[in-house]
Amino acid sequence: MQEAELHDLSDDADYAASQLQGSVYMTRSDSTKTSSTTEPEGAEVVYLKDNVTIHPTQFASERISGRLKLIKQGSSLLIMNWIPYKGQNSNARLSEKDRNLYTIRGVSFTDVRSIRRHTPTLGWQYIIVVMSSGLAFPPLYFYSGGVKEFLATVKQHVFLVRSAEDANVFLVNDFENPLQRTLSSLELPRAVSVANVPLPSTSTPLGELPPNENQDAGDGSRSSSSSLYNGRTRQKVHDPARDISIQVLEKFSLVTRFARETTSQLFRESLNNGFAVANERRAHGLSPVNSSHKLVHEAEKAPEEVPVAPDPIEFDKLTLVWGQPRQAPLGLEEWATYLDSEGRVMDSKALRKRIFYGGVDHHLRKPVWAFLLGYHAYDSTDAERDYLKRVKKTEYETIKRQWQSVSAEQAKRFTKFRERKGLIEKDVVRTDRSISFYEGDDNVNVHLLRDILLTYSFYNFDLGYCQGMSDLLSPILFVMEDESESFWCFVALMERLGPNFNRDQNGMHSQLFALSKLVELLDSPLHNYFKQNDCLNYFFCFRWLLIQFKREFEYGRVMRLWEVLWTHYLSEHLHLYVCVAILKRYRNRIMGEQMDFDTLLKFINGLSGGIDLDAILRDAEALCICAGENGAACIPPGTPPSLPIENGLLYAQQDDEVL
Amino acid sequence: MASRRRMLLKVIILGDSGVGKTSLMNQYVNKKFSNQYKATIGADFLTKEVQFEDRLFTLQIWDTAGQERFQSLGVAFYRGADCCVLVYDVNVMKSFENLNHWREEFLIQASPSDPENFPFVVLGNKVDIDGGNSRVVSEKKAKAWCASKGNIPYFETSAKEGFNVEAAFQCIAKNALKNEPEEEIYLPDTIDVAGGQQQRSSGCEC
Repeated sequence: MQEAELHDLSDDADYAASQLQGSVYMTRSDSTKTSSTTEPEGAEVVYLKDNVTIHPTQFASERISGRLKLIKQGSSLLIMNWIPYKGQNSNARLSEKDRNLYTIRGVSFTDVRSIRRHTPTLGWQYIIVVMSSGLAFPPLYFYSGGVKEFLATVKQHVFLVRSAEDANVFLVNDFENPLQRTLSSLELPRAVSVANVPLPSTSTPLGELPPNENQDAGDGSRSSSSSLYNGRTRQKVHDPARDISIQVLEKFSLVTRFARETTSQLFRESLNNGFAVANERRAHGLSPVNSSHKLVHEAEKAPEEVPVAPDPIEFDKLTLVWGQPRQAPLGLEEWATYLDSEGRVMDSKALRKRIFYGGVDHHLRKPVWAFLLGYHAYDSTDAERDYLKRVKKTEYETIKRQWQSVSAEQAKRFTKFRERKGLIEKDVVRTDRSISFYEGDDNVNVHLLRDILLTYSFYNFDLGYCQGMSDLLSPILFVMEDESESFWCFVALMERLGPNFNRDQNGMHSQLFALSKLVELLDSPLHNYFKQNDCLNYFFCFRWLLIQFKREFEYGRVMRLWEVLWTHYLSEHLHLYVCVAILKRYRNRIMGEQMDFDTLLKFINGLSGGIDLDAILRDAEALCICAGENGAACIPPGTPPSLPIENGLLYAQQDDEVL
Repeated sequence: MASRRRMLLKVIILGDSGVGKTSLMNQYVNKKFSNQYKATIGADFLTKEVQFEDRLFTLQIWDTAGQERFQSLGVAFYRGADCCVLVYDVNVMKSFENLNHWREEFLIQASPSDPENFPFVVLGNKVDIDGGNSRVVSEKKAKAWCASKGNIPYFETSAKEGFNVEAAFQCIAKNALKNEPEEEIYLPDTIDVAGGQQQRSSGCEC
């Protein structure tokens, strides 16, 4: 009764063709192959592609190009390597470290869950390799083409099927539960040690950084306590046959060392910046300077059951220095000082900074949100905005009439429309109904939510409607109080958050990936804890990211958080630092109570309504400053809410999907 | 022995958006119904202690987002499940037609060791609406489908009125217990499990 086909790739004409040509491509690749191949005995390069590139920052000009190889080892093992070229970085800002951070070495396809291909009509094709752990590598752009051959080659060596739900996703070794298999192999008893100790056979080009160099005072105490806690972690049986996963850990370890270098550097800087005093105080059992902060930390302290690895960056103290006190919201009088006589915002950066630190008075949100969301340009005049408003209203009405004019007879033969409408109608009646604005039977604002969402699903038919959108629209309509204006503000927001709702979930995957990298950078003991407890997929943060914490705070606080995030003042991705800040605030409970994945998910869901927003914003600010460029490098280009990188097709389409 | 944890039975509720998954779970666990549940984002679960033949178990009931687009998350949430509950709305034909899809999706993502015999239970929810006058899926039709999929137990429920919810979940718990591999059961009287298994065929097959 449902489409169960598409389990095989043979239905794809392109695919079949590429397979036929596979050998031709292979020969061509071989001819470009240099003599420097240093594969181990019995290994055979079955695919080689030059100019495969990643974009480590949101700037398309900053890229790292390298060579992608598939290596067959023995009779059944397929290994993927992507090694950046030496000294050919497009931009001096990309250091040697960036290259090493992103190097993919010795990743076995037994640890790969799926490969997602993107073949935009304009721009470069790329693939995203998703590991069984749920982590994904940054997109690999094939500047010289070759995605099809890549997939064809993979298919020759491992079991590859096309996902029934997304024709662009190819599942690897899907005949048994790969997640369980790989996660249990990642949970090697010595996982932490492997990541912390010099790796014997790795030719990591991190030569300038001897692995033990950073074992200075702060670091040393950390590693001893983390090994202690490691010893207490429940251990699973170690199957030597799974040792290949060490090579995956090797990848992690590069990042770990990178993170340690940063954090120990920070630690040294802190000492130089007068933190020595604070440290001394602490050593003598004196309370930290900021007593309100202390209260929070006391309250969230774990019952001291299990020794918890200390926070490597002395987080509470950083906040004292960098997380500025929150200010009062921007009010009407002050707002006027930002505008010239014709209503232009004179210094948008100063305005964004002001809002970043204090938010906006509620009655000012209507004009200010339109700027923050990008619906109005900062340099537009009052008159221009009035004009735009009228033009856009007409435009909105036109799109709206498209679905309004669908007759009952037409709808009968228009399944996609009927189902989309049904889904929207089901969701708007359960969106924020406890807020008086949306309360009661036959509420006119609930009808407006429906109309706007349905119109949006025609405006952006490829993306359509997805659960969570009604949560994002609700505060916008509440603030704008106007159907057309709300629609266009929502459109502007979806320009940035649309990928969250995309069929292939690429926006969510890149955010979860970036979050895991940031936690690794900013709290490696917590990262190691997640790794050992099968929590690296960070799915427990899914709701936070999908709808920008909409369900985690009460309505007024959500609006405050959103306007702060939308300033993009310190970073476009402050929301990721908000995630890290919340996790760090509860890290001692998470690790102390030894939460497993289920318990952690329940715990995180249960935090809803109980998070102190102002404190978290200060923490997030501090973390963002503290992570600096290293933090920015953790976030793949195009990660929402960055604007999407490709100019062509924005949303993956699939003809055979229902909604 | 006393220090061992009480046995955990994991149950996953699947079905189209808006068929009443969250409501069923809350009606069973908290004996409450609300018109104001929000659409589930991501996943959540509730637990309930259940007694079965003098033994206590913890039933962990997972509620997931119903929109197809979020199914890729399933792999993290479905693993280790002991029973899968498929829910449809008797007033919405499409939600019934999609049961097959949900069943297959679950088997792919959870990859249970014995997919042929993995326990499912089907619930036809919202039988209260309009006094049953708006229903479009007949009980006969639903039962025929259940029979064709290896005699899946079938219940008609109303989460709003609490109708048949307790009975359905007792059957769900019993089937989850049946699925639990014997070596993981630490109590010495494993014969009880076999007893429970036999009882199942008379107790909750419709």
